[in-house]
Amino acid sequence: MNIKLVGGAAAGLAAMLVLSSCGSGDSGSGDQNASGGGQVTLKMVAADYGDGPGKPNSGETFWKGVVDEFQAANPNIKVEVQVINWNDIDKQVATMVQNGQVPDILQTGDYSGFVKDGLLHKADEILSPNVSADMLEKFAEFGKVDGTAYGIPFVSSARALFYNKELFTKAGVAEPPKTWDELKAAAEKLKKAGVSQPFGLPLGQEEAQGESFLWMLGNGGGYKDASGKWAINSPQNVETFTYIKGLVDAGLTTPNPGTKDRKTVWEDFGAGKVGMVNGGPMSIPIFDAAGLKDKYGVAPIPGKAGPLDTTLGVMDWIMAFNKNGRAAEIKKFLDFFYTGNAAQKISDTYKLLPVTKSGIEKLSGDEKLKPFLDGLPNASFYPFQDPKWAVVNPSIKQTIGGAVKEDPAQVLGELQKTAENS
Amino acid sequence: MRRLRALEPLAWTGPAVVLIAVVVLWPVVEMIRSSFLRISRWGVVQGSNGTANYEKLFDEKDFADIMLRSVVWVVAVVALTVLISLALAQLFNQHFPGRRYARWALIAPWAASVLMTAIIFKWMLDPEVGVINQIRLKLGLIDALGGASADQLGDASTAMPWLVFVAVFVSVPFTTYALLAGLATIPSDVYEAAKMDGASRLRTYWSITLPLLRPALTVAALINVMNVFNSFPIIWAMTHGQPGYSTATSTIFMFILKNRDIGESAAMSVVNFAMVLVLTAIFLKVSRWNKEVA
Repeated sequence: MNIKLVGGAAAGLAAMLVLSSCGSGDSGSGDQNASGGGQVTLKMVAADYGDGPGKPNSGETFWKGVVDEFQAANPNIKVEVQVINWNDIDKQVATMVQNGQVPDILQTGDYSGFVKDGLLHKADEILSPNVSADMLEKFAEFGKVDGTAYGIPFVSSARALFYNKELFTKAGVAEPPKTWDELKAAAEKLKKAGVSQPFGLPLGQEEAQGESFLWMLGNGGGYKDASGKWAINSPQNVETFTYIKGLVDAGLTTPNPGTKDRKTVWEDFGAGKVGMVNGGPMSIPIFDAAGLKDKYGVAPIPGKAGPLDTTLGVMDWIMAFNKNGRAAEIKKFLDFFYTGNAAQKISDTYKLLPVTKSGIEKLSGDEKLKPFLDGLPNASFYPFQDPKWAVVNPSIKQTIGGAVKEDPAQVLGELQKTAENS
Repeated sequence: MRRLRALEPLAWTGPAVVLIAVVVLWPVVEMIRSSFLRISRWGVVQGSNGTANYEKLFDEKDFADIMLRSVVWVVAVVALTVLISLALAQLFNQHFPGRRYARWALIAPWAASVLMTAIIFKWMLDPEVGVINQIRLKLGLIDALGGASADQLGDASTAMPWLVFVAVFVSVPFTTYALLAGLATIPSDVYEAAKMDGASRLRTYWSITLPLLRPALTVAALINVMNVFNSFPIIWAMTHGQPGYSTATSTIFMFILKNRDIGESAAMSVVNFAMVLVLTAIFLKVSRWNKEVA
């Protein structure tokens, strides 16, 4: 009895598998026929930058706008966009690749994993030279593997100093600080004026690696030195954290920074409890919604001797799979995307920054975005191309806050050891 | 035919055996196996890693502290929970007006999601706007909001007691109800006999209530030991184990490691699993030892 039952179930399962594989085979050949007949359907998978499906800023709405315009101009090419949220996109794309059902175009957070397996079009096969030339060099450089570009920068983000104008006036600070000394002086005045957190310092788990990096840049430091070696406990970095520790000990920052998430500190800034904080374009809507609109300014991040001429750059990527051989159509779509107003729409909708020189120019009139745009062409990046970063990054998030509580040299030294030994 | 008949019980127990094998045994085997593998960040197995995962884990600077803290955490939470629950169960076993409502109210922390409770306590302890700090300010316990003195979750020495408090808070309802059920099974004639013999209240409690309550007490405490040892949401929501690893227990550490090295995280899981077995064994041993003496 039992055996029969199992046998039946197995037969049913097998039938289902056969059916489903037939189904996918059918749709595959259907596509081929279509391309032969002059009508091509491009399949695109994109990440959702909005608040999710159904929301007015959802990725679906955004891409529908882009695709409708594109299809009106190119009646032979149909584009089907599948928008997937950030939590699931890596897994779903991996499944697509494993099943051989790759999309033609993919927009997500990383491209490098697909290069090794030879799955991607080279960037110059799917992008016109004039569009490539318009890309910010520093960003495009990170799209290369062994000198050949595969990843195309899609959007970026940057950081700058936000300061509360009302609190600055109340404390008698005329302008945002440019150097660490000015920062300390301003923080002391703010403290005297009753501001509980003169400088918002989130070194907790959420984004300690970002805040730390911004401070390191201010003293010519970073996670790696110029030769590409890990240098987390370099003398510059130890000096930097010793300086921050001084601020913390004097009560001029968020208390116990090593336990505070960026989200909390930004909320406190929005509530008018924080004098200055490092933030990005994505914090603008948060501060505006908190009722701080027009009451804050944005300035370059202060460094030890002068304001940073760089910023922390973060970017996402667009890439094309070569399996279906539709380079010409993909090129048309990407050229349309980068030369049209889509980039501007992205930055309007999601407060993300463009990656093209022309895109930056178009936005340069926005006073709040200017400090970000100024830093963008010369941005600095996490060493994310080093596989060890995946191990070092979580360690930094967990422990680097200790560098402003205990001995900076020792805490940074431990992280350096993690980077060298992992 | 006869042989088939002999196999009949298997048809009834089979599904349960399969279920246990699939959802209990197989994961345990898989966990132990993973702890000896080298696994990439994306979950791809890259071959055997020998005992390297364990060596790396035991070499972690914070490992010993974390294990010690886990034991202290379990002992503190379970001991406090049981003591408070014993008293509460005694109270709720008495007849008093509104007892039914009081019993209902006790269910609330149990019915609410633990994660939700933890987040609410985190908000109440917020250094800028948390209601607990507002009260402390009014009472003159702190000078101002927003400073280090108002930030109790920011330092291990003040955060740990709060974490224990929340863990006790969410464990007490279940434990109290388990003990209350135990109290209900004690026949009243035993108490009458004790009264006739002129036993004092304390003596009655010590020599009658507690021994007769032992089965319920043992089960309640044991379930708490395992629950608290594996407790994740309270600490994660309130401190992430920070500053550094100074409020992390082994379960939290296992989760943090998962982002860095899946193999090492699996090794931590195995150690964790062994710890639960050891703690349970010790606990059962101790409670039986009590029985012999009594």
